[in-house]
Amino acid sequence: MLWKAVRKANFRPTHRDAYAERKRKIDVLPYLYSMPSVVFLAVLLGVPLISVVLLSFRYANLEMPNLRGFVGLDNYIDVLTDPLFIRALIQGTVWTIGSVVGEYLIGLVTALLLNSKLPGRTIFRALIISPWLVPIVVASLTWKWLLDPNYGYINLLLLRLHLISQPIDWFGGGAIALFTLIVVNVWRSYPFYTLMILASLQVIPNELYESAELDGASSWSKFWFITFPYLKPISLVLVTLNVIWVFDNFDFIWLLTQGGPLHETDSLATLTYEYAFQDFHFGQASALAIIMILILMVPFYFFNRANRRGEVG
Amino acid sequence: MTVRQRLALSATIRYCLLIIFSLWAIFPILWMISTSIKPESEILTSNPSLIPHGLTLGEFKLLITNMSFLTYIKNSMITASCSAFAALVISVFAAYALSRYRLVRTVSFVGRLMFIAQMTPPVLLVIPIYIIMGKLGLLNTYAALIITYTSFSVPVSSWILKSYFDNLPIDMEESALLDGCSRTGALLRIVLPVSLPSLVATAVYTFVLAWSDFLFGFTLISTNNMRPATSELGLLEGLWTVQWGQLMAGSVLCIIPVVIVFVVFQRYFVNGLLLGATKG
Repeated sequence: MLWKAVRKANFRPTHRDAYAERKRKIDVLPYLYSMPSVVFLAVLLGVPLISVVLLSFRYANLEMPNLRGFVGLDNYIDVLTDPLFIRALIQGTVWTIGSVVGEYLIGLVTALLLNSKLPGRTIFRALIISPWLVPIVVASLTWKWLLDPNYGYINLLLLRLHLISQPIDWFGGGAIALFTLIVVNVWRSYPFYTLMILASLQVIPNELYESAELDGASSWSKFWFITFPYLKPISLVLVTLNVIWVFDNFDFIWLLTQGGPLHETDSLATLTYEYAFQDFHFGQASALAIIMILILMVPFYFFNRANRRGEVG
Repeated sequence: MTVRQRLALSATIRYCLLIIFSLWAIFPILWMISTSIKPESEILTSNPSLIPHGLTLGEFKLLITNMSFLTYIKNSMITASCSAFAALVISVFAAYALSRYRLVRTVSFVGRLMFIAQMTPPVLLVIPIYIIMGKLGLLNTYAALIITYTSFSVPVSSWILKSYFDNLPIDMEESALLDGCSRTGALLRIVLPVSLPSLVATAVYTFVLAWSDFLFGFTLISTNNMRPATSELGLLEGLWTVQWGQLMAGSVLCIIPVVIVFVVFQRYFVNGLLLGATKG
């Protein structure tokens, strides 16, 4: 009895205990708050990623469901010795660099133009951002129509202006098809750069420009010594993210050329899809997926290094 | 040249460049609209013009009555708005944790995971996601698409919101906490009302992302009347010989809802993204 009473008294929460309890409660919150996102990421990104890693070491072919098992590095060797791999890697790199450079330059120029206080700039802003609202399917259909060899407006316009003597098949030969793909991708994707760069431009203090003007600085040196240093962090983030997104992009190439003609516009992303859904070779497709992630570690590494040197916000 | 002349010249150059870029941005869209309302004879001609001479809504009528295209639009509407809402709720909490508890090691680890999650290409995950959805019995349902879009949007949404929360002064919440408000209460009653622009920006981001998807609508849904509009349009192209009038009419139907969402929320969207982005 007595013992029980003592115990009860000892366990009655004192003021200090209540404080500790509240503190403990608060400490649970961050976990509670981030739990839903972790669950989602785990189920839809984590588990699939692990299963891709596992599949890449196994023989898995939908057409031969009975034939399966651990094959070590065979899938990787098959992928790396496929002559299409090197071609898709080179074409994919050209596609990535071309798109990212084009998007960045147009995004930068349009953001600089939109940042000046000209009347009517809200209308221009809406117009210049508009391609971003066009779904990729719609963008690719519209450009296919514009570039159609028979009745496409662009060919007819060039013919009428006597710039060409016969219609160009924009998705025909390898180099020109890749170029067309890049142009369409740049058209659809640059507004994201415009928006983000515009955002960073607006935090540059105006006094910097004013004092530079007093010193008689030219527009170019104002850009190079004031604007550009401010844009460096956001540019680094944007370029890194976009290198990853474009390198991995599947929809654009697939909807416009399906990697053709004769694999001349295949990138590693479309090659993965072909392995998986045309050859039904899931093991090989998974191995290629892992190789792609490893390749993407390179830009990620440089980003991290720049980040640690403090170039990013 | 006087100063005034120089300023006038620079303004003229800027306007010219703005006009050129606007034309390059908007022309394909205008051409799409123009093709969708032209009669066939004006589409397949060697002398087309942007402004159609004859007007017809025949292709729209055909799409809506014979091919029930509005069902696909409805599918897209439901999946895109549910994803936008779900992603918003999930990322608000995640972003708040990332912003206010950045010293908790698990939280910063989650932040890094999210950054890495952005690197994984959707096309690589199609196969396992298809298998998972099959096991959960969710193939051919809205839920499959909503869950997929939500998880692809959560990382970016959380980062946009986190950088917005980072810029909010912490004093308001602290005084609310001292007054006996709970953390969640402070988040819901103090932080959220002043974060409206970035909340809208995040929701619009997810909506546009979900609306533009082709890959998952195309692989996870095989029942015809459950497919989202953009995936359906992608399939329409392969069905017959290319009928540009019809494809462009479908395209117009696909962009109308996004344009409406964007025009209504544009002010919030741009500002929300801008404020969130300034910290990189």
